[in-house]
Amino acid sequence: MNQFALVGNPNTGKTSLFNTLTRSYETVGNWSGVTVEKRVGTLRGRGGRLIDLPGLYSLLPLTPDEGVAARFLMEETPSSILNIVDASQLERNLYLTIQLLECGRPMLIGLNMVDVARSRNIAVDAGALQRELGVPVVPIVARKGTGCAEVLHALGGLEASRSGGFRIDYGPAVEAGAARLAALLSSGGTASASDPRWTALQLLEGNEAVRASLPAAVRPAEVDSILEQTAEELESSGLESDIPSYLRRIRTERIAQICRSALDRSGQRLHTATERIDAIVTHRILGIPLFLALMFLIFKLTFDWLGSLLSDVLDGFISGSLSGAISTALTWLGASPFTHALVVDGIVGGVGGVLVFLPQICILFLLISFIEDSGYMARITLLMDRTMEAVGLSGKAFIPFIIGFGCNVPAIMAARTMEQRKDRLLTTMLVPLMSCSARLPVYALFAGVFFASNRALVVMGLYLLGMVLALALAKLFSRTLLKSEPSLFIVELPPYRMPQPLSLLRMTWEKVKGFLRKAGTIILAGSIIIWFLSNTGPGGVGVDMNESFLASIGGALAGLLKPIGFGTWQAGAALITGFMAKEVVVSTMNIIYQVPDMAGLEHQVAMAFTPLQAFSFIAFILLYIPCLATVGVIRKETASWRWTFFSMGYSLVLAYIVALIIYQGGRLVGLV
Amino acid sequence: MFRQQAVEGRRQALASVKPGDSAEVRGLNGISPMLRRRLRDLGVAEGSVLTVLRLGPFGGPLTFECAGQHIGIRREEAGRMEVAPL
Ligand SMILES: Nc1nc2c(ncn2[C@@H]2O[C@H](COP(=O)(O)OP(=O)(O)OP(=O)(O)O)[C@@H](O)[C@H]2O)c(=O)[nH]1
Ligand SMILES: [Mg+2]
Repeated sequence: MNQFALVGNPNTGKTSLFNTLTRSYETVGNWSGVTVEKRVGTLRGRGGRLIDLPGLYSLLPLTPDEGVAARFLMEETPSSILNIVDASQLERNLYLTIQLLECGRPMLIGLNMVDVARSRNIAVDAGALQRELGVPVVPIVARKGTGCAEVLHALGGLEASRSGGFRIDYGPAVEAGAARLAALLSSGGTASASDPRWTALQLLEGNEAVRASLPAAVRPAEVDSILEQTAEELESSGLESDIPSYLRRIRTERIAQICRSALDRSGQRLHTATERIDAIVTHRILGIPLFLALMFLIFKLTFDWLGSLLSDVLDGFISGSLSGAISTALTWLGASPFTHALVVDGIVGGVGGVLVFLPQICILFLLISFIEDSGYMARITLLMDRTMEAVGLSGKAFIPFIIGFGCNVPAIMAARTMEQRKDRLLTTMLVPLMSCSARLPVYALFAGVFFASNRALVVMGLYLLGMVLALALAKLFSRTLLKSEPSLFIVELPPYRMPQPLSLLRMTWEKVKGFLRKAGTIILAGSIIIWFLSNTGPGGVGVDMNESFLASIGGALAGLLKPIGFGTWQAGAALITGFMAKEVVVSTMNIIYQVPDMAGLEHQVAMAFTPLQAFSFIAFILLYIPCLATVGVIRKETASWRWTFFSMGYSLVLAYIVALIIYQGGRLVGLV
Repeated sequence: MFRQQAVEGRRQALASVKPGDSAEVRGLNGISPMLRRRLRDLGVAEGSVLTVLRLGPFGGPLTFECAGQHIGIRREEAGRMEVAPL
């Protein structure tokens, strides 16, 4: 089947186009490195597969996300390439375009962001560009969908077309070297899928990935000798001794020549609006307070002003009308008391008890999506870099941290975009300390019971606690475990863009769908298991809950948990089940305390915990272990069980120490 | 040739350029290789013209503009980038 790969520099609108062309809702964001994994979609209307890839600046990858794109191009050899080029940054974007053209695959250029270019008075002549590059160029505005029909149409005719013979003459020394390498490659017998001249040029440029994928018949020593010889010839011709920088120079000269006929920046205007916003938002005194104020606003909206109101309405519906209707239906169907209890207490109680928090989660995801798509994300890294540097991290680690407030899994994957291995590893270890939306139901439940009058403050305190501990541990780990490299920081600050309401809602919905899916799978399964465990015991079915299997499992932990304030089997059971997904803590409580609605649960929880114990408990929940899905992604990203176990182990120890300090310290000063 | 030398004579570190002033990049050899790679990827190389936009608080990152794009780097690294004021 036809396979088209979307390739281009970061933040040029590849995913926006992918979403329009395949009717998907992948995350779009206004910073470099939003997409870190390949995504496959089916082209609207005409079939064929479109593959969205992480952005990359050149075919020599520096970070793992660029590696995903570069490896895809080399190993999976898509039949055609759809290269997205940012019209307002033409020169820089064309560098990759040239490397792609040298591949010799059928290619179409989507000249994106023509609206931005126009508003800044940058004139790009698509016709001239097409003549210079020898492949079709289609001007588009990916985010509005302008020109997308033309792209679809042009893709249809692409397969048949040969690439238009774009070629750079690199001068006698390099051309001779490339020809010798190409001859060596084809003599190897195994004709590889890639163009031999392109492979030769990539070898001259020092592309390790291309080198590693050479057929076994090609002897590395021979390649090296040709490389050396070429370098000598180049040097003796008085040009340059370093082949990669020579190639870059020749290409840059060619780009300048192309731009002379296709680009007019003489009337270029600056991003005045962006400049004005940045003057305030990244102001040296106002910047950080504004950021903190924004965070506080987010918590207020999520927990106080909007979220909890809507949540109460939903709770009324689920525990009232819905639960009642299901109960009536079960009776009418003649269900046994056993089934009745399983469905109403187990499933509706367990899953419904978590679904109640849907409004809060929606609002949180909506606000995070807004920040992602506005361009503020890159500014946050700028504001926080000084602090992060002090603890041995890059300011860019703040992007995974913020994403982690939604969900830790994509947050850990977002660490891929950092250049230094140490930055990536540290971030991966610390993201689980960010309070994800799954911990939100636990906070909302407990804060609502014990700290109702200053709910948002308490919850914000927990978020801050996680953040402060992450910074402290970053300092500790970078001093002890990961001493080697200094962190690295460089960030592109894209122009601010007003997020489009429709696409914001869709992106939020996409993330909320993840939550609903979890409710229908892990939380549902967890609720059923817990219900069974709590209703069966050594004594048989329908035992008193204190004699149940769940009580003995949870009770095993009780002694250990006593010093930190919640030595009950109920708390122990909730913690064990919470490893599956942290929302399950709330499901478990709902089932254990067998309450019809939120008000009942709140009452029961108030009986079981004192405020101090409750605070110790939620702090423990915040820290104690990354959830199952997060553990999986840590294992995948670090490719090491040692680091995976380390992340689980240190968080358990940390949680215990923090809870101990809170509970025992609190008692010392006379709190209850 | 003469002009070239005159400009050479006024080399200074990017970190010492005042916000609002422009300078031409002369040398990137002092900075870490990975950062140099990234700057090249973003089109910042010898000969590029930069305008310093602002400095972060407490020695925080320096933001500059180059060919219409805004880039932030640490002040320490900016101290190792050689530029000639314009
Ligand atoms: N004004 C304007 N903005 C656009 C256009 N296309 C995309 N954008 C915006 O540009 C930003 C980046 O878009 P993405 O689709 O995430 O870019 P990407 O190339 O997938 O980025 P990475 O995944 O980071 O490589 C988003 O804020 C989009 O809304 C366009 O044609 N015009
Ligand atoms: Mg993308």
